[in-house]
Order: sequence, then C-alpha cells, then structure tokens
Amino acid sequence: MGRRRRRAAAAGALPEAIAALSRALPAGPSPETFRRAKFDRPEAAPALWQLLFRVLSPLQTDRASASLAPEAQARWVKCALLSQGYPRRGLAQLPEDGSGGSRELLLALSWLLAREPLLERLLAQTRVRLGDEMPVCECEALASPGLPGPQVEIDCPVDVRHLQWLMGKLRFRWRNLMASQQEQCALLGKIHLYTRGCHSDRSLGHLSVAETELLRDPEGGQQLLRRLQSENTRLEAALEWHRRELVFWQWMDTVLDACPPEASQPAFLPSLRGCGAAELELVARELQALHEELRAAGEARRAAWAARVGDLGPEWNAAQRAAQEAVGRELAALRQAWEQSGGLVQPHGPHRLVRTEAGVPGGPGLRAAEVIGALKSREACLEETLHQLQAQCRQQLARLAGALPGLIWIPPPRR
Amino acid sequence: MLPVGCSRRLVAELQGALDTCAERQRQLERDLRVSRRLLRTWEPAEIPAPEPTPGPETHEKALSPVCTPSPQDLKELELLTQALEKAVHVRKGISKAEERDKASSLKSRSIATSATTVFAPTRASQTKSPRDIRQTTMPAKGLPKPRLLSTGEQTCIGRGPQAAKTGRGLRDQQIALSTAPQAPEAFTLKEKGTLLQLPMAFRKVASQNSRLWAQLSSTQTGDSMDVTTSSKTQFLQKMQMTSGWPSTRLSAAEIEAEVGRLQKACLLLRLRMGEELTKDPTDWMQEYRCLLTLEGLQANVGQCLQRLQKLRSEVVEQQLGPRPERRLPTASLPCGGGADPIWSPQLLLYSSTQELQTLAALRLRVCMLDQQIHLEKVLMAELLPLVSTQESLGPPWLALCRAVHSLLCEGGQRFLTILRDEPAY
Repeated sequence: MGRRRRRAAAAGALPEAIAALSRALPAGPSPETFRRAKFDRPEAAPALWQLLFRVLSPLQTDRASASLAPEAQARWVKCALLSQGYPRRGLAQLPEDGSGGSRELLLALSWLLAREPLLERLLAQTRVRLGDEMPVCECEALASPGLPGPQVEIDCPVDVRHLQWLMGKLRFRWRNLMASQQEQCALLGKIHLYTRGCHSDRSLGHLSVAETELLRDPEGGQQLLRRLQSENTRLEAALEWHRRELVFWQWMDTVLDACPPEASQPAFLPSLRGCGAAELELVARELQALHEELRAAGEARRAAWAARVGDLGPEWNAAQRAAQEAVGRELAALRQAWEQSGGLVQPHGPHRLVRTEAGVPGGPGLRAAEVIGALKSREACLEETLHQLQAQCRQQLARLAGALPGLIWIPPPRR
Repeated sequence: MLPVGCSRRLVAELQGALDTCAERQRQLERDLRVSRRLLRTWEPAEIPAPEPTPGPETHEKALSPVCTPSPQDLKELELLTQALEKAVHVRKGISKAEERDKASSLKSRSIATSATTVFAPTRASQTKSPRDIRQTTMPAKGLPKPRLLSTGEQTCIGRGPQAAKTGRGLRDQQIALSTAPQAPEAFTLKEKGTLLQLPMAFRKVASQNSRLWAQLSSTQTGDSMDVTTSSKTQFLQKMQMTSGWPSTRLSAAEIEAEVGRLQKACLLLRLRMGEELTKDPTDWMQEYRCLLTLEGLQANVGQCLQRLQKLRSEVVEQQLGPRPERRLPTASLPCGGGADPIWSPQLLLYSSTQELQTLAALRLRVCMLDQQIHLEKVLMAELLPLVSTQESLGPPWLALCRAVHSLLCEGGQRFLTILRDEPAY
C-alpha cells in the first residue's frame, strides 16, 4: 500500500522533475520531448541536437552558431562529446541530418548532467552581472576566446619583417589596453566613491556601474530587471530540479536498460584539438633541453665531488642519509606542486568590486592586496620563464655565430 | 622569405593573439563609454526634481517657478554653466582641476567652484570637495524615498558639520540671491551621487537573485544530495559498462590536462634548476645537497619524458580520428580552482583607486606574459631550426639572423649589430 502510494508519487514527480529541468536549461525543449526520446521517436531529435549544441558551445559562439546548419551543429556536438570522453559509440553513428536517434541524445544529455554541475555552469555563463567584477584567476580570460577568429589562410610565404610588424602591432595593442584599463579603473573608483552609502546592501555600500546606469537610463533598467527576473525563474527551476532529480535518474536507468548493449569494437577515437599535438611537441622539446642541461651540470659536479671527497667516516654516512631524505622531501613537494591541479587554494570565480573606506576594516571578502600579492609572484615566475627562454635562444644563436669567422656580433646594450 | 608552412603557422598564431587583444579592447571601450557617461551630467529617474515641501523649499519655489526642467532649460543651463566656467577660469587664471580628472569630472568640479565663487565668494574657501571626506556615515536604513533637498540635509550631516554649515549657508545665499533667474541644479554623480537610491522593485528582485544563487551553491554540498549523487554515479558507471569502447582510453580533455601538468612541471623544474645553479655553497653539506638536488631534478625530468612518450603514442593513435573544425570546449578550469565552485559572486575589497589600478594592471601584465611566453615558444620552434640549417652566409641570411635574434632574444624591441670583419690584406 505504502509502496504503491510512493510509486504513484514518483510517477507524478517525474514530469515535474523534467519540467523543472527544461525550465532551468537555456531554451529547454518541452518535457514531452524527453518522453518521446525515451521511445527513440525521431521527432524529438532536432530539439535535442540543438539543446546539446547550445549546452556544449561556449557562450561567445551563440550568435555565430545560430547560422550554423543543423548538420554542422550535430558534427560539433559529436566531436565535443567525444573529446570529453563520452563513452557511447552509438552517438558517433547517428545521422547528422537530425532524422533520428533521440534516445542516444537523451543519454548524452544525461551523461553531461550526471558528471558536472551543468545547470550551474550554464546559469553562471549567462549570469546578469550587477556588480563591477574583476576576475581573480585566469579562467575567464582563457575561456573567453571560444572560437578562433576568421582563419587567416595564407598560402604564400611571408618575410620575417612581416612577423616583426605583427609583433610590434601586438605590443602596441597591449599598451593601449593597459591605458584604457587604467582609465576604466579610475572611473570605477570615482563612481564607487561618489555613490557611497547608496546601496541597500550594507556589505556593498556603493552602487556599481550597472546599478547607476539603471538610474540614469530607466528603460535600460527595466530591461535589466526583466533579465534578472527571468534568471530568478531559471534559478528557482534549477533548485526545484535538484530537489526532484532523484526520480529522473531512476527513470534514466530504465532508458539505459532499453538500449541494447553496444558491441565491443576497435576504438574510433577523437583527435586532439588542433593545437594539442603542437603543444605536446613544444613540451617535449623543452623537457629534452632541460634534461640535457641537468645531465651536464650534474655529471660535472658529481665528478668534482668524487675527486675531492674520499672516505669521510661514519658520521658522514648519517649526515649523507639526512641530506638525501631532506632533498627527497623537497623534490616530492615540488612534484606535488605540478601534479595537483590547482596548487594552493587560489581565489576563483566571479568577484564583485567593493570600495572600502581607507582604515575601515571591511566585512568578509577577498582583499585586493592578497590578489595583488598572488599576481606579483605569478608575474615574477612568468618573467623568469621568459628570460630563461630568451637566454636559451641567445645561447643557441651565439653558438651559431661563434662558428662563423669574419663576423662580429654586437648585441644591443642591456637595459 | 620564410617557408610557406612556417609562415602560415606563425601568422596564424600572431593573428590570434592580436584578435584576442582587440576583443578585450572592444569590451573595455564599451565599459568606458558607459562609465564616462555616468560621470557627466545626467538626470536620474529616482530623484524627483524639487517639489513644494514645507520650509525653505516653498520659498525657493516661489522665487523660481521652473521646477521640472525641460530639455531646453537643461541646454540653457549647460550653456550658462559653460559661461560661468569660463568666467571662473579667466578670473582665477589657474585651473584647480587635478590632472587625472577627465573632462567630465573636470566640468562638474568647475561648476562647484563657479557656483561658490559667483554666489558665495566668502564661503568658497570652506567648501569641501567630497573627495576629501573620508568619514562618511551611511544614511540610516528605512528612510523614506529621498527628496532631493531633504536628503541633501542628510548627506550634509554625513559630510561633517563644517560641510553641512557650508551647504546650508550656501543655500541661504542662493535663496537670498535668487532674484536672479535660477535654473535647477544639474545632477552630477560627484555632487549628488550619494542621494541615489535603487528602485524598490529592483532591490527586491536583486536580493532574491543573490539569495537564490547562494541556495544553489549550498545545495551542491548538502547531505540530502548524497542519494542523488550516488544514483548519478551509478548511471555513469552503467553507461560505461554498456559502452562499446574500452574504458581505458584517455579523452582529449584528459590529454590536454596531462600536457598542462607536464608544462607546469617543466617550468617548475627549470626554475628550481636555476636556483640550484646560482647557489654558492659554503660548506660540504650544502654542496652535497646541491648535487643531490640536481640529480633528483634530472630524474624527475626523465620521468616526465617517459610520461610524455606514453602520451605521444596516445595522440598519434587519436590523430587517425576525424578532426573537429572548431576548437572544443574544455571542461576543466585552467586555474584549478573549480574543485568546489562557488557560483554566487564573492566580494573583492579594495581601498583606493590606485590599488584597483595596480590590481588591474597586474592582471593584464600576467595575461600578456602568458601570451608572450607562448609566442616565444612557437617562434623558437619555427625560427631556430630555420636559422641553423640555412647554409648561405649572404646578406639575406644575416638579415634573417638579425631579425630572429631581435624577435627571440629582445622581444622584438632591440636589434643586434653584425659587422663583417674583413681580413686586412
């Protein structure tokens, strides 16, 4: 009796869970699509292809993607899923014209939902930014160029002077960027200062540009309000989904059962993204060079050491062991620094800028000084790396020059 | 001329870097336009123009009947302000504006000066610019919607008794003098920014928004999610089991992550080697440790090379598959901070404009260095072999050497001089 009631409740809960999911997804398909997909009905396929494309493509491509033909979208979805390690081969074999395969597509969507906080990520991607934000890590900067720009396909050789020109242009752009950024910070500082105490939220204190702009331009403010409201609706749907999703996963289990197991076949594998292999070769080169340098330095020192140090007696043996252990520990720590993905607990995620009055201890939040400290050490590390690379080049070129008699190389004066 | 393949790769890399920069610049320009506009004179929707209220306001109203300024009035006011501004400039001869202030705030500052100079010359010295005031008490919560003048009093109190007296005194002066036609004061953030208040509807929706984000962040860690998490894990496992592919293969994303780790390893190992090589050991023990460290580093590099070898075979295998025509999204976050993501925005506190500028400049600098290092590696891989394999020692080759030296060793900013040392006969 109790079981039957529970089952009835669960049966009622499934459409609601799916409805919450489709409300939380950007341009989510109707709940009916999901039901049809369970039975692999072809009419559900186009909507699911589109949804998967929207979910998998970075935000910036949104506009560009609207013009993509469904076939191209489907190809993109296949590649993206494969590159993320999607396990089912059935997907790769689906027709790209959207004429079928809705069950496979439903499985793919569920796979994405199961392995990452997909809804949160999508919501964060399109979040209405009310505050003035400054990313404190490089995630956003790196994530933003989703697509390579219009491909410059040159088929004729260029002169090295063209490269120099491009490099000069790049330096110029960076300088412009720096100047604009400084001005923007100055303006932000002013806006924050002039609106101090205006925010109803005391931990924020002042208004942000978006909030001040809303007062200047009420029409734009109305639009912002509407966007915020629709985001709230999606957030509520996402919360409801999380309350109800258990029943969805039980249902997906039955969907998976309805699929015949795939026959084991030789791998049909995705390729690395274009630059992946090139990247690999760059690291290989660097590691090889490093190995060579270390070998040379180590061997020379070992020989010198062996020549000078004879038998130093039992105390030395103990000291030797201690030194070995200490070095072992140091190197283990070094290894850990690159093995663990993040290293130290790094500030991450969106941060709203809040100006605090000098001398007044602010509330909870990350201090700019902390971020500046972290950035400075990163800057020093990167500068060192660049210098080392340049020194490496200098050595190589000097070796080349040394082999040529009759030429005098005068390097530019050091700054 | 460089070979075609090399040309294509290098130009594509550089063009990509340029495009990224241009995109950032466009974004910044957009933000700048909005901010600049806010710092100029504008009419806020939420502060109503002075309305008849008891007190000195009625008095003022009687004297100056124009209360809601029409665009025409505003235009005239703008002209009047400009004229006054000019008058002050001529009279004072010197500009008090700070050099950093941009045109917009320069104007508002001058308006302030002109108002005090023209209407209340004796008070001018007492007028404090809000910039100088550090101690600000926030207006109490729950105040009724601000009326310009009544809250004006409020903020004046906030700005300290001296300023308040000045403000009130100034108004008295204005009222006394307003037999002359008086235009409504123009709104600038600098002068009246503190009177702004967000509309109620917006405040409600915004606070609901931040509450929802906070809830969403907390549901991911809640205990009630355990059952759901385990059923999701089961689903993923079942999917893997029924898959037709061997489960051991690496996904492209994993390969990328591994490449990233190796890159980081290489960088750290190289930095450590630099440290060890510059050390000047003072005793045997230190010397011994230095030696051990170098050998240990070498062993670590060896392990990395082995891992790389394995990865290479994987990549070669995968190259046989179809190539995606677009760059694929990466699921992992490059900074590694995504292990326990917080979705609602946190606060980043700064205490001065200068601090903000330092922070922003450093961020850009780090991005720039990242890009420079990447380009340096790409250029090294393409150009060094080119220089060392070309046998000809003629002028074109020397020119190439010089360009390559400049690009690779001097960041393209300075040049090497090459002299041909002709043997003397």
